[in-house]
Amino acid sequence: MKRSKTLKLALMGASALALTACEEPQDVAIFENVDQCTQQDGFDRSSCEENMKLAEAEHIRVSPKYTSVEDCEVDFGATQCEIAPMQTSGGGSVFMPLMMGYMMGNMLGGNSRVATQPLYRSADDSKNFRTGDNQKVAGKTGISKVPGNVAKAPTTKTNTVRRGGFGASAPRTTSRSRSFGG
Amino acid sequence: MQRISLEERDDWKEQAEKMGFHFHTIDDAPYWDETACYRFSLEQIENDIEDPSEAIEGLCFEVVDRAINSEEVMSKLAIPEGFWDYIRSSWLNKEKNLYGRLDFSYDGNGPAKLLEYNADTPTSLFESGAFQWLWLEQAMERDIIPKGCDQFNSVHERLVEAFQNMDIDGRLHLASCQGSPEDEGTVRYIQDCAIQAGVDTNFLHIEDIGIDDNGHFTDQDDMGIRTLFKLYPWEWIMTDEFGKSVPKSGVSFMEPAWKAILSNKGLLPLLWEMFEGHPNLLPAFFADDPRISNLEGGYVKKPLFSREGANIEIIRPGEAPISVDGPYGSEGFVVQALHTLPVFEGNHTVIGSWLVASQPCGMGIREDNSPITKDSSRFVPHVIY
Repeated sequence: MKRSKTLKLALMGASALALTACEEPQDVAIFENVDQCTQQDGFDRSSCEENMKLAEAEHIRVSPKYTSVEDCEVDFGATQCEIAPMQTSGGGSVFMPLMMGYMMGNMLGGNSRVATQPLYRSADDSKNFRTGDNQKVAGKTGISKVPGNVAKAPTTKTNTVRRGGFGASAPRTTSRSRSFGG
Repeated sequence: MQRISLEERDDWKEQAEKMGFHFHTIDDAPYWDETACYRFSLEQIENDIEDPSEAIEGLCFEVVDRAINSEEVMSKLAIPEGFWDYIRSSWLNKEKNLYGRLDFSYDGNGPAKLLEYNADTPTSLFESGAFQWLWLEQAMERDIIPKGCDQFNSVHERLVEAFQNMDIDGRLHLASCQGSPEDEGTVRYIQDCAIQAGVDTNFLHIEDIGIDDNGHFTDQDDMGIRTLFKLYPWEWIMTDEFGKSVPKSGVSFMEPAWKAILSNKGLLPLLWEMFEGHPNLLPAFFADDPRISNLEGGYVKKPLFSREGANIEIIRPGEAPISVDGPYGSEGFVVQALHTLPVFEGNHTVIGSWLVASQPCGMGIREDNSPITKDSSRFVPHVIY
């Protein structure tokens, strides 16, 4: 897409304007693991593995991050969290939910507009897969149709951690993790 | 590239008014015109507009590099000597720029030809970035154009992003001249983008800017100004009474002072001198250059400082000159080989290619009944499909 995805204006006009570009629904493929992927018609093992690797790398980048394992488990359920390979600026541990599956383009449809990424299941809606920025994807594995924006790479603020940010950017992180699974 | 006649949205004027786009009609003539749109292929946009825009921005930086180290070039550009050091340090300090618009003559085939670079005070930004975008979304929704169309237009997002990356220290002041609703509309839109980026802002008119004992500029509440977006050309700042206080004022200007080199029409002969034969450039010379007599297909005479088509003159062998009156020209002229604008159903069409933070990110099209586009030229939306 060569245009803005959203247009928000505060001052201009009598009422604030907030609009979102409508996007074509996308075919995506969802799997819990590589074996499941290879059983799907038209999906070969090397692509399945390659996309799994991509999703695993993205997992570290885009998964929601917590400074306490309890907070993470509230959102994702008991024993559903792991220690992330980074630390807060104060040297504390960072926690993130386990990756429960991955999403990639539909290889039969030749669809390259889907960003391969990890998927999660939240505690209060455990039947659905969700993206790293908490968008509902689907309840089943295999091929699904999702809104165009869901197929995009999560817009997670990855530099929050790099900036050493849980302290400084607390409001953003807190509101985000609260809404996760909501 | 095609011009397609379309139905208007029946409520577009209402929507424009609501958004503060009051200059949609100028002297009873339409300025925003959605009775037609221009259709492009993605290849035309990416290969013929977007990529050349990025390349030309790179060439322009080389021109700045050269100009700041050459008294001869700065003199040719009629930049007052008192500002040479200031402009030079604005470039060496890498002062960030917000936006600019490259104007091209392009008909869908062959290389787009650069007519000029509005590097300092371009307008029509709101129309391009916001109203044109809104038109596209609604025109698809209302089946005026096919669903699945796109537009070369991430101007709005890029502006917000640019403000996020600017590290503005304290409040951003934004100013335009009194009595120009169009300029004020552009600045209000830029202010809105800054607000979306979380920047603290204050709008004022250029005329209301004050100065204190220490040579610092102040706003209408006597607060000091640290960062100023001004829709007011550098060449005017440099000749105003307060101009001499600018270099020591401590204010960060947007656009930065080095844009004075690029918004000057002298850019055109400098580009040609340094990159002669570049497919997107037209032969151009300073007015005293004897090579002008070799421009057998005619030429266009442009004042060094000129805006909105004013004082532009087209000279063709064996024909009466076509010109637009205006207040500019005392500082000298440049001459550019004539490359007439393409004509679509009687309309002369010019393409404005937007750069935000030096990245190409959108396009706005203007149409005129005459071969010289002006501030009154109609803004016509575009689609990609």
